[in-house]
Amino acid sequence: MRLGKMENLHGFETVVRLSLRDYFHERLLSICAVLGLAAVLAPLLVLFGVKSGIINTMADRLIEDPRNREVSPVGSGRYGVDWFAAATKLPEVAFVIPQTRSIAANMVLFNQDAGEPRTVPVDLIPTGEGDPLLLKWGRIPADDTSVVLSASAARKLNVTTEKEISGRVGRSVGGIKEQVTVKLKVAAVLPIGAFPREAAFVRLRLLEATEDYRDGRGSETFGWPGNERPPGPREYPSFRLYARSIYDVGDLRDRFTDQGMEVYTKVEEIEIVRSLDRSFTLIFRLISIVAVFGYFASMASNVLANVNRKSRHLGITRLIGFSTGSIIWFPVVQSIATSILGTLTAVCLYLITELMINRLFSQYLSAGEYVCRLSAAHLLIALGFTLVMSILASAYAAFRVARIEPSEVIRDV
Amino acid sequence: MNGGKTYVSPDDARPPRTHKTGPVSSKPDATEDRHIFRLKGVSKRWAGEHGFILTVPTLTIGKAEKLALVGFSGCGKSTLLDLLAMVLRPDDAGEFLFFSGIENRLDVKAAWRRKDLDMLANARMLHMGYVLQTGGLFPFLPVRDNIGLSRQGLGLPAKDAVEAVAKKLNIERHLDKLPGQLSVGERQRVAIARAMAHEPSVVIADEPTASLDPINADEIMALFTGLADEYGVTLIVATHDWGRVAERGFRRVEFSLEQDVTDGAVRARVCG
Repeated sequence: MRLGKMENLHGFETVVRLSLRDYFHERLLSICAVLGLAAVLAPLLVLFGVKSGIINTMADRLIEDPRNREVSPVGSGRYGVDWFAAATKLPEVAFVIPQTRSIAANMVLFNQDAGEPRTVPVDLIPTGEGDPLLLKWGRIPADDTSVVLSASAARKLNVTTEKEISGRVGRSVGGIKEQVTVKLKVAAVLPIGAFPREAAFVRLRLLEATEDYRDGRGSETFGWPGNERPPGPREYPSFRLYARSIYDVGDLRDRFTDQGMEVYTKVEEIEIVRSLDRSFTLIFRLISIVAVFGYFASMASNVLANVNRKSRHLGITRLIGFSTGSIIWFPVVQSIATSILGTLTAVCLYLITELMINRLFSQYLSAGEYVCRLSAAHLLIALGFTLVMSILASAYAAFRVARIEPSEVIRDV
Repeated sequence: MNGGKTYVSPDDARPPRTHKTGPVSSKPDATEDRHIFRLKGVSKRWAGEHGFILTVPTLTIGKAEKLALVGFSGCGKSTLLDLLAMVLRPDDAGEFLFFSGIENRLDVKAAWRRKDLDMLANARMLHMGYVLQTGGLFPFLPVRDNIGLSRQGLGLPAKDAVEAVAKKLNIERHLDKLPGQLSVGERQRVAIARAMAHEPSVVIADEPTASLDPINADEIMALFTGLADEYGVTLIVATHDWGRVAERGFRRVEFSLEQDVTDGAVRARVCG
């Protein structure tokens, strides 16, 4: 039995060598088969590359864009320290910070360095460690007198990063108008589009001091005169909150709605992109099923035609005495060779196309974004898939080879 | 009897053949070690317009014997050759034995009944060579690899044996050419070399010289039979031309044909 197995192995090796020699001998036909496979596979790879590139870039933009993750309350409520402590712990929440009364959350900024003084009234937006908006586009103000300006505020003030400016807060106490001034430093300027209005992102302490000052109270931190603040925890009418990802926005909305809160989210916009992704995926799947079917049919017919054309040689191989188990590998080996060479050719064509597409669209893309993109793992999957397909496609041909009767074919002229 | 196989290099050690033909029963029979084939009541039917039936009432072929199957085309020569080469399944067989070596008996009838095609293929690769009328060489393999194919398939060293047999057939200068670069006569020599290179017990040839001019045909037939004698190989040749082999020590086997008056079928009987 041991000897028998050894003989089968020799036979197998010899048949593999025969198959490859034949494949090389008929290199013109082999090249045609390889190009035929590459012609099907290369566009498919480009299609998948574009799909994965565009959808990933869109999804990344959507996921990364903090504005899509913002959940803001409609109207004003009463949110205490406990509520914020609980909200911070929610698994869907990436960042939450209290917002003071909007009527008190503003000040007038002015810049006297620029020849003629410029003044701009701005909204004050609370910020702090972990604010996704500033992490993406600016930087977190380091101290209570640092501000991050929106693009329009900076433009109207004619200031850039690191410039000194002043902020003025006014109040009317018993009919007498008072005002205080605070020296501020521009920590960063947000790009256009990051925030639509004239606004200054500041630490919560400055916001609270501004609100207190408007209420007739003073601030020790900033040296502003006024009454003592009555003891007791603060309550805030509003907040800024960001979900961890776009996929958490819907859950957060449901959670707040259950608590009786009405919130504004971008769930609808998110859903549009997600359904676009689903439709794209479906379309790409349909296209690839059609392509795969075409590839399978062409590969199978190619191998089968080959086997029929070579039935005399295969019959002689049987006549010489190679076992059925060895001979059936003759078409399979050639099929595997075609699939490896065809996939390599297709990958080369794909990589050239990928380079061209990404270069063409480079001006619309930021670093790490691609219109067309397949990972090495994707390409390996493509190779593995082609290999399996080629073996399946040659299975019927192999079956036909197994059924060849030497006595019927060896005397063909 | 096998002592004439001098072209094998000394390091070319082969396992004893008794292990290779698979299940083998050895009944003590004094005549068996002198036979290579023993057929009794073997027949093969071809369906067709009228039908054709070949019957082999009894045919015993001895070791190292040279046998010529003589007859016109269509008389059943090729059918008998394919039956003997174990590539054609007989419809009936009283007895069909192939003795590949001493005390080594393959029951071909039983193997066909079991559909054990690989066992028959294995026996072919080990013990048989086959020469076709034309072609049969692989166009994509150099002559060297064509000749060495069976040896490679058996895992035997090929180089020395291939060169030795090529030398005897005067084709050693063609060893690295492709068959397409050779003349028809040279290709037939390559085919004979391939059938011989793995030291088979029996070589079967179907009209091996029919496509050649008479001078080439005589020369190649002389080389062929000479090689067979030298190596002690049983040679079974089908030919329509008894004159070509008459002087070369062949036993003549003929076919008698008769047409059945009722269904028009042609009945061929082997008279050997």
